[in-house]
Amino acid sequence: MLFETIKIALRSLFNNKMRTFLSMLGIIIGVGAVIAVISIAVSSREQVTSSISQMGSNLITISPGFRRGRFGGFGSSADNIFTMELGESIVNYCPAVKAVAPNNQTSGYLIAAENNYRVNIVGTTIDYLEINNYSVASGKFFSQYDLDNATDVMVLGSELAEELFGRQSPLGNKITFYYNNQRLVFKIIGVMEEKGMGITGNLNGSAYIPISTYLNKISGSRHIDSFFAQANSSEEAKLAVSQIDYLLFKYTGDRNEYRLMSQDQLLDTINQVTVTMTLMLSGIAGISLLVGGIGIMNIMLVSVTERTREIGIRKALGAKRKHILSQFIVEALTLSSIGGIIGIFIGYFIAYGVANMGGWVLVISLPTVLLAFGFSLIVGLFFGIYPAFKASKLDPVIALSYE
Amino acid sequence: MLRVENLTKVYKNGEIEVEALRGVSFEVKTGEMLAIMGPSGSGKSTLMHLLGCLDTPTGGRYILDGNDVSNLKEDQLAEIRNKYIGFVFQQFNLLSRTSVLHNVEVPLIYNGVRKRERREIAKEMLEKVGLGERLHHNTNEISGGQKQRVAIARALVNNPSLLLADEPTGNLDSRTEKEIMEIFLQLHQQGHTIILVTHEKSIARYAQRIIYLVDGRISREEVVRDAV
Repeated sequence: MLFETIKIALRSLFNNKMRTFLSMLGIIIGVGAVIAVISIAVSSREQVTSSISQMGSNLITISPGFRRGRFGGFGSSADNIFTMELGESIVNYCPAVKAVAPNNQTSGYLIAAENNYRVNIVGTTIDYLEINNYSVASGKFFSQYDLDNATDVMVLGSELAEELFGRQSPLGNKITFYYNNQRLVFKIIGVMEEKGMGITGNLNGSAYIPISTYLNKISGSRHIDSFFAQANSSEEAKLAVSQIDYLLFKYTGDRNEYRLMSQDQLLDTINQVTVTMTLMLSGIAGISLLVGGIGIMNIMLVSVTERTREIGIRKALGAKRKHILSQFIVEALTLSSIGGIIGIFIGYFIAYGVANMGGWVLVISLPTVLLAFGFSLIVGLFFGIYPAFKASKLDPVIALSYE
Repeated sequence: MLRVENLTKVYKNGEIEVEALRGVSFEVKTGEMLAIMGPSGSGKSTLMHLLGCLDTPTGGRYILDGNDVSNLKEDQLAEIRNKYIGFVFQQFNLLSRTSVLHNVEVPLIYNGVRKRERREIAKEMLEKVGLGERLHHNTNEISGGQKQRVAIARALVNNPSLLLADEPTGNLDSRTEKEIMEIFLQLHQQGHTIILVTHEKSIARYAQRIIYLVDGRISREEVVRDAV
């Protein structure tokens, strides 16, 4: 009997192709949007997190905190202890820390021939490479000799080299760094490999110089903006954080004077943000599913009115209430499930297109697909019941005389 | 076979009550062919609905095949209609955009007959009314006379006790009318119990007996011819 009911429902849907399609449209768009939004969100999160973990999850940043201004004095950064010596102490007294590199940054213009480009100049040490899992693509990085003697050498990020020199090799060229009305001339000795974004920002758009050169010629102070520290392993990252915390607390006596941030915490933050975004967008997509459901109800009500006579005939021929009820519910379910399936495909293609443009790997989660499909069925059932109920309650005498 | 006793039907429309039937009693024997005649407003449609178990009476009793069906629930009436009554309507009342065969199958579907058997019975019935060649035509592709033949086949397919025809030739030309009435006569000769509801004397005269209905009451009865 159920099989017959499905056949009757399919026949009537097939007989009204245009109406069927229009009533499915809401569900198609709703399910498609849910699938697309969730797939895009999941894929992009995978992309971000994988590029972060590619940089090593054992990375920790150490930066000064902020002091509150009191008694009319201005708040200032607690930077009196942030010097090269602090970096050495961390390496010496924290056994879980493998290496520490200073990270001083300032922005200015790099000028090479007729091109100039706004960049970040990073002053650091050789350990920066290992900590960031970063290496030189051509030429070489600065050496201990350069650090000891504060030489004017510079290594360019990959993006920077391309913007300033195009396809030509920048190696050996002189370049001018224009900063606060000062001009400093550097010799380019290397170009870095291309690297994903992470806790350290866009490495590809930065230029690297010895920290000693930076302190002497650019900042003119002993102050270090922040340090990157590397734990022995990702398992020891938490231990390293607590050891550094212990040491810094001993030096400063105040947890507000410094900040510690590990790659793990960053991943957590990013995950939280994407989960929130996904929920929000899914909510919006869910609303469109709801609207789709109302569309189905609308069409089903029209269909019941339009087919009053058919219902009368079926009742005269012996259809019971359950027969009419199930016929219309099956119709609504068929509408919403076919709409749901089409929506899944459309959502997949949208997500596929976006992932392709973003250069990500597309992640389609089965629970998402099942959830969206299940939801569309529920919507169909929910909004199909009322019209079906209305149809099943029609009086055969009245229905038969309906014109 | 069929007996109605003091049947009344009152329609309520807000404060106004309309008495459509005011106590109708008669009997129909198995195999009999009866015509119910009357002008419009005489209550003949109401009587047709009651006899067809599409509606229940306000008062009185209706015994069909030994069962009192005057106070049945909606779904029980549906079952009675399905198994005991075959309808032929003036408007044909076929399902549009579906095949002739499927139309005839519908009562069998609701009777829970399996597909293969259903097909066979439906085909057999359609051959009986001379439509064996048009099984797969859509109902909107055939003529009025053919439509009414489909309706007759559909009415017979559950082998009902009573064949109820409401102005069966009202939408047909006189030549087709004759053809359709010949079919009813044949069915009568095969032993089917038939009630014709009509306002045309020429149609009513195919029956053995005519009941005249005026203002919700039987005004007179006329025996046209003896039983076959």
